[in-house]
Amino acid sequence: MTYVEALRLALRRLRTNLLRTALTTLGVIIGVASLVALIGVGEGTQAAITNQIAGLGTNLLSVNAGAATVGGVRGAAGSASTLTIADAGAIGSLDGVEAVAPEMSVSNVVVVNGRSNTTTSMTGTTPAEAQVRNYQVQAGTFLTDLDVEKGLRVAVLGPTTVTSLNTTPTAIIGQTVTVNGIPFTVIGVTQPKGGSGFTNPDDAVFAPITAVQSRFTGASSLRTIGVSLADPAQLAYVESEITALLRYRHQLATSASDDFSMVSQDQLLSVASTTTATIRNFLIGIAAIALVVGGIGIANTMLVSVRERVREIGTRKAIGARRRDISRQFLVEAVIVTLGGAVVGVLIGVAITGPVGATVGVPATPTLFGIILAFCSALLVGVLAGWWPARQASRLDPVEALRHE
Amino acid sequence: MADPTVVPTTPAQPPLIEGRGLTRIYPMGDSEVAALRGIDFRIELGENVAIIGPSGSGKSTLLHILGLLDRPTSGQYLFAGVDTDTLDDDRLALLRNRAIGFIFQSFNLVSGESALENVAAPLVYAGVKRKERVERAEEALARVGLTDRAHHDPSQLSGGQRQRVAIARALVTRPAVILADEPTGNLDSRSSADVFTLLQELQSEGLTLVTITHDQRIADRAARVLRVEDGMLVDHDAPEPTYLDDGRRLPEPTTAPATPPSGAVVVPPESGLAALGLADGDVS
Ligand SMILES: Nc1ncnc2c1ncn2[C@@H]1O[C@H](COP(=O)(O)OP(=O)(O)OP(=O)(O)O)[C@@H](O)[C@H]1O
Ligand SMILES: [Mg+2]
Repeated sequence: MTYVEALRLALRRLRTNLLRTALTTLGVIIGVASLVALIGVGEGTQAAITNQIAGLGTNLLSVNAGAATVGGVRGAAGSASTLTIADAGAIGSLDGVEAVAPEMSVSNVVVVNGRSNTTTSMTGTTPAEAQVRNYQVQAGTFLTDLDVEKGLRVAVLGPTTVTSLNTTPTAIIGQTVTVNGIPFTVIGVTQPKGGSGFTNPDDAVFAPITAVQSRFTGASSLRTIGVSLADPAQLAYVESEITALLRYRHQLATSASDDFSMVSQDQLLSVASTTTATIRNFLIGIAAIALVVGGIGIANTMLVSVRERVREIGTRKAIGARRRDISRQFLVEAVIVTLGGAVVGVLIGVAITGPVGATVGVPATPTLFGIILAFCSALLVGVLAGWWPARQASRLDPVEALRHE
Repeated sequence: MADPTVVPTTPAQPPLIEGRGLTRIYPMGDSEVAALRGIDFRIELGENVAIIGPSGSGKSTLLHILGLLDRPTSGQYLFAGVDTDTLDDDRLALLRNRAIGFIFQSFNLVSGESALENVAAPLVYAGVKRKERVERAEEALARVGLTDRAHHDPSQLSGGQRQRVAIARALVTRPAVILADEPTGNLDSRSSADVFTLLQELQSEGLTLVTITHDQRIADRAARVLRVEDGMLVDHDAPEPTYLDDGRRLPEPTTAPATPPSGAVVVPPESGLAALGLADGDVS
């Protein structure tokens, strides 16, 4: 019997047993649909996080106050003012450094606009912040050198902050808001970058570093210095330059460890993509388990079907079917059921990828990779599930089979 | 000088079916059941043979061996002169497909498949193309008078109709022999008569017919009756008058003329298989 004949036979058989076929394939449908959807969501998550990190600024090197984490033990962080505005100025004159933004941050400030208020964090910085952290304004302007020089009480808000204040970017320009009771005039609103949680770059207040220093912190200590590189290939070189410079400026003994740490955008990206890949593989693993369970269901149905059709098998042998004709018949049937389930599963998976992504806050689309993987796994599952029952069927003794009640 | 009136002698064509000392022993736990205990016989091409005997005497066991569904425990079974012991399972399947047609008491049609599909099924295993399969299956259904039931499911047919579909299925490969195990056992007398008439017609057209039966008419019509008792043939070669339940005497066995089935290739003497339209290469 050719595979075409086996296929014809299987389709006829499945048509007459439509309900059972549908129930049998349910496991495979669920497995395949979740495989497609979860791969879509996994890829979506990865893309979103990668974009978000890339959106924070390219060629970026962050110099953070406090010691680096060494062996899990964090050194005394910023016990003194480990990074200063002067440090930032000195870094700015190094080779290969394009721009430097000192960042002085005040967390948990309450911003009030008329009757609305929101809690966010405020960053005192310079105009270079826009370049270093890759901000664009959608309304108004960013901070200017003059604002910094004069220590003006002006502020640029993130779009999420504006929304939290129940107003719109254009409406809030020129308005005065208070930050912890101190009035600031809004001069600009940044473009949304996308993101969520407490690292949301769209929920922010930027003000001249001079104003923040005089009104809030009183000191010149910085949390971070954002450094934009002229050429990303020079990352290692610039890092070593900055290390040498800061150690010299902070007068650290040779034996002392750094009182600052550096992290590049590249490092962040690779850490993030490793993490998201792990999450994605975990999700694929769960879907694969669903698929295996589906396969066991199919194998079980096939065994039942072989048992029910013992006489048919005996009859087919009597009229000339060889072992391989019989096993082919059952194998093809199992594969057809599985692939039928896979088609339905892919359709459902494609349909639910978006909604599933939305519930976890990720823009997810079904991927070709996911669909192909789901199909191939289903094919494999079908062959494995059909193999044993097909073998059982083909090995039945014809006389015994014909005698079977 | 050759005498033109003398026909050159050809070596005898091997009998279609020949059993030599056939036994079949089933292991039953520690003991054994001897279903056949040494059976010798021949059936020539075109014969009409009935097998009778009490229940449990081994008739079906014998028929399964004749039909290459089972192998004897000992003894030799030659089909068309070929020792079947030398054939592997695939070759036996091929012979069943090409040379043998089965008819069972319980019809054994595949439900969920139409009458036409059932009849065409052997041709699928014979590798016949779909178009030809349909044509030949329609032909066979016409032969049994069921053209108008071609697309019915077996469950929509009466017992007699089902058995006729089964006969069409047995015919469709143009086999040399039809082996029937109580073909009318599940039928009422009217349907029995139809099936009986049909089988006799087919036999008279040249088919070899071996029928296990409890039906007196079939036994009466058979040219030869093999009586199986307790796994052995009785009054096979020395026909004593055999009286049946109703007191009638069985006809004495006659050797039927070995008419090849219509459409069969003319018989080269050395190959029994060729007589069945099978090349030796197909089997050995
Ligand atoms: N698979 C088997 N295992 C054990 N014993 C068997 C098996 N098949 C048949 N037998 C035994 O072999 C003997 C012959 O059985 P068989 O079916 O050939 O009888 P039969 O003549 O066809 O009877 P009936 O007329 O009732 O159909 C019986 O005693 C039966 O019990
Ligand atoms: Mg029997």
